[in-house]
Amino acid sequence: MQERIKRIYVPMTETGFYILYCLREEMHGYNIGQRVGQMTGGEVNISPGTMYGTLSKMEKDGLIRFVREEEKRKLYVITELGWEVLNIELHRIERLYKNSKGEYVYGG
Amino acid sequence: MADRVLLRFMTVTDYEEEEQFLREQHKEGWKLCKYWLPGFYFFDQCEPEDVVYRLDFEQADQCGKTEYLQLYYDYGWEYLFEVNGFTYFRKQAGSEEEEPEIFSDNESRIEMVERVFRRRMIPLLIVFFTCVVPQLVIQFFNWQGGNTSAKGFVIFFTVFFFLYLYLFIHCGQKIRWLKRKYMKE
Repeated sequence: MQERIKRIYVPMTETGFYILYCLREEMHGYNIGQRVGQMTGGEVNISPGTMYGTLSKMEKDGLIRFVREEEKRKLYVITELGWEVLNIELHRIERLYKNSKGEYVYGG
Repeated sequence: MADRVLLRFMTVTDYEEEEQFLREQHKEGWKLCKYWLPGFYFFDQCEPEDVVYRLDFEQADQCGKTEYLQLYYDYGWEYLFEVNGFTYFRKQAGSEEEEPEIFSDNESRIEMVERVFRRRMIPLLIVFFTCVVPQLVIQFFNWQGGNTSAKGFVIFFTVFFFLYLYLFIHCGQKIRWLKRKYMKE
């Protein structure tokens, strides 16, 4: 994987993580915002300016790609590169979680 | 025509003050309908309401504009117009617990400040150093060399010189201040 992308995106911001995570399936910006709101019980909100900026940046960096347009809304989906970043991040979060519970990763 | 016109000079780094100013006007029953550079705000009379105004700066290019505005619309923001790269939005306050915002994290707020710097301040700096300063020097020596008609140009470019200088100091400080504020929050 391109080292530059990895350096920029890992560790991910909360916004970046949720957007990329949601895009495991095709979605448009507003959909993602609503899904994240439901998933987190309203604790994480992604506003439209932040949503638009993050989607544009991720598309430019090749983490997600534009699929099609539906009623003036752009649908995106995660790419292979996006999956690589997401998996690194998921592993990192899991490690943090385990360690925070006093467990060692890989059985210590 | 609009019911009220106010003149306010705001630089590209004063967008938070501008948002606050427009919100206060709306609270007093004046809703923004038009804005002309360099500082003419046109208002229509309306019911006094608490409406939040927000400005975004050059996020979408022309071909992405429709989807960009649709996204804001889906989030409940009313699009007003675009002036000088700034897109004006407004939304009713109080319907949600939190204040309506167009940016939900500090990264995107800092990115907006940086966009304003790159696309508005840097071109001004280039004009300043490649046009205003050289012209001032050239015209000054013309004038000293006995060309009396150059005097007018000297005055003209001196005025511009100080206007630019003021803008650079004001906007430069403001950009630093904004970035610091967003980093702390």
